[in-house]
Amino acid sequence: MDAIAVILAGVVPCWLGVACVLALRGKTAGAGDGDGAWIIGAGYLAGAFLLAVWMRVLSLAGIKFNVWIVALPLVAIALVLTVWVMRRTALASEARTAFAPPASLSDWARVAWWLLIAWLALRFAMLAFEVSLRPLYPWDAWTQWATKARVWYELGYLAPFGRVDAWLAANGAMYFDASPEYPPTMPLLQVWSCLVLGRWDDTLMNWPWWFMGVALIFVMYGGLRSLGASALAALVGAFLVASMPLANAHVALAGYADLPMAAYYTAAAFALLRWVRERRREDVVATLVFAAACTQVKNPGWFWAATLVPAFVVARWPRYGMRIAFAGFALALIALVALARFKLRLFNYELNLAYTPAWGDLAESYFLLGNWHILWYGAIALAIIGWRSLLAPALAPLTTIVAGGLLFLFMVFGFTTASYYISDQTTVNRATLHLAPLIVAFMIMTWQAFAVRWAATHAGVPSDQVADSTAT
Amino acid sequence: MACLGLYLAFSVPGAWFPGGSTQTIGARALAFARGGGVMDGDALAVTSVDAGGLAVIRAQTDLRSAEYPVVAWSGFGFAETADVRLLWQTDYAPNKLNSVRVPVVAGRLAPVTMTKNPDWVGRITGVALAVRGPLPEPVHVVGVSIKPGGAMGTLGDRFAEWLSFEHWSGTSINTITGGAEVQELPLPTLLVVAIAIALAAWFGLAWRSRRLAAFPAVLALLFVTAWLLLDAQWSANLFRQLRETRAQYAGKDWRERHLAAEDAPLFAFIEKVRAKLPATPVRIFVVADAPYFRGRGAYHLYPHNVLFDPFRNSLPNPATLHAGDYVLVYQRRGLQYNAEEKKLKLDQGSPIPAEAVLVEPGAALLKVL
Repeated sequence: MDAIAVILAGVVPCWLGVACVLALRGKTAGAGDGDGAWIIGAGYLAGAFLLAVWMRVLSLAGIKFNVWIVALPLVAIALVLTVWVMRRTALASEARTAFAPPASLSDWARVAWWLLIAWLALRFAMLAFEVSLRPLYPWDAWTQWATKARVWYELGYLAPFGRVDAWLAANGAMYFDASPEYPPTMPLLQVWSCLVLGRWDDTLMNWPWWFMGVALIFVMYGGLRSLGASALAALVGAFLVASMPLANAHVALAGYADLPMAAYYTAAAFALLRWVRERRREDVVATLVFAAACTQVKNPGWFWAATLVPAFVVARWPRYGMRIAFAGFALALIALVALARFKLRLFNYELNLAYTPAWGDLAESYFLLGNWHILWYGAIALAIIGWRSLLAPALAPLTTIVAGGLLFLFMVFGFTTASYYISDQTTVNRATLHLAPLIVAFMIMTWQAFAVRWAATHAGVPSDQVADSTAT
Repeated sequence: MACLGLYLAFSVPGAWFPGGSTQTIGARALAFARGGGVMDGDALAVTSVDAGGLAVIRAQTDLRSAEYPVVAWSGFGFAETADVRLLWQTDYAPNKLNSVRVPVVAGRLAPVTMTKNPDWVGRITGVALAVRGPLPEPVHVVGVSIKPGGAMGTLGDRFAEWLSFEHWSGTSINTITGGAEVQELPLPTLLVVAIAIALAAWFGLAWRSRRLAAFPAVLALLFVTAWLLLDAQWSANLFRQLRETRAQYAGKDWRERHLAAEDAPLFAFIEKVRAKLPATPVRIFVVADAPYFRGRGAYHLYPHNVLFDPFRNSLPNPATLHAGDYVLVYQRRGLQYNAEEKKLKLDQGSPIPAEAVLVEPGAALLKVL
């Protein structure tokens, strides 16, 4: 029964999200490269976010949670949208096209393709066992995240959380935990799992982290394909993300919001990049929804969402966009330095001018320890050898997002009290995890651009012809 | 292979193929020369230093210095700035006590190579580990291995570091080490150097035959192969962890899992506490010396309305306690409860009226009257 409940708890938001994504597509959109993976991955993420929003609405309306009250309206919406989409489009044939293995792979590439899929399946099977067995384990999970889930599940509504003074003044009407101001999305997904299970269970309630991990992989593959990566390159990108040890730890030891943050930020960035290529309205909506989700998963999501703006500017006004983006980065730096004079506190981090980044410890985290395998070596090497393509129109928006993300990390760990967290190897890796999937995307796309340019130079193949062949 | 060869050429201490085998001395064969402590599992917990501020743990040896150039103390819980030294005596200068600093990396003791130390001569008649206090927390010494080095020994040590099992721990959510906590040659670095050498070799060959077109593919292939090697190590670690997790938790419901978890005694106590509390949520102040017990205890008590200090070992202000509130005490020094007078004394203010609802060794639930 528990297995059925866990699957249902994943299927309902996935169905809702997939139906919404499909409904937003135009009649003649057709199934593009990687669309199947994109729709499922983005669908789950959108559905999970909408589910949490719906639970907040119920709570605001004074309606206590139970599984039927939460699920039935969402299932009804999903059903109506599905029927509407099926009447409007040839969904079955599109699905067959979208999920068919790529036909253009050579024999060795096909072998590599299936081996990578088997490796991915084995990895997620192992993580599934771990998630199914281990009670809530990591520190912040039981001091500031699942604390809310437990209270809201037992009470049936979103009881308020506050700091000590407010708690003392409220005389029992308010709850306390280590971070009462954190957003409610992930705790609400834990509540949802418990509602479907019919009991509080701080092991199985963590399955949304596994679903998020899988959704992130689908988003990676679908997103990279839609940007023009070849099927094998896109699968390699998905594999690199799925096999990063720190990302795996965040699924196995579920309970922190960093992996969901990475998933939503990646989805928002890919939705924006899809819009840059295709200019379709569903990608605008997806970008806005996922950017909003970033802000509701973790407080730094506001800053991560803001890093998408320069990419939009670069894509929208290609002639002056890069200059505007650089000016924006410079202005942001100047503003932060100015604000630092007043020791401003943002989300519990104090801005200051005491520039004290722990470069040695940062290098240890990125290059010597096992957190990222060899991600950062690869990223730096590809940025160097592919530098001529980084600001080309096809890559500039992605480069801008990655640059903005790195600048954000640099500012946080260089100019705030968070610099301490590099030395003790805590927040530095978790904050980096938010950006890591996009670093992989950047590597794949830069490598592909470099390969095209190299082929044009060394094999006498016209670059446009090579571009066509690598995109299949 | 070329990378490993280069590494060995620069790092093997002493002869490449020495005759001796590693001498390992476990914690139970160690003795205190200064300071004191107790056995804690398989490790010797050093809890105190002598009047001179030193704790010294010694081991008897009888081996030829030339055959054993590496001394690896195994221990954990050391502060990064701790003053830890290896001491030794020889038959060459029996009245002289030699010493060299032992580096601390990630709270553990790094191996010390003695080949260039002029005092590492003759027969080594004894080694010791000196730890300078104060010791706010006990440090643990698991034992000492005195190694012959050599190519195979060095390679064996590196492979042992790479393949060392990394359990899930409180730090796993922040950092994955990728094998042993202390690694002389991190595997990612070695593989990247290997990629660079292989790429350079391929490039040289391809340049001569004018077949450079495959460079991006070769680069990608080498990168993914190195990644797969690292991931194979990580997969094996995950699999070992899964077997441990399965042995610990499989076949249990969520309550039984908590009773099998690291905080089982705390969870069991909180279960008894919950049975004594009203069904509707009440205000509970949770105090404990260790932040882990404060936070974890509070977590198990929700949806009761708990207050705990996540960062400091503080006690609630008596003025904030109202009749009907509860105070949960778990392994917290400094509180006084007078059962006859039904008075609870916190560290500030006058005693407040309270009755003991549940009392166990080191833990209690008190209701404010």
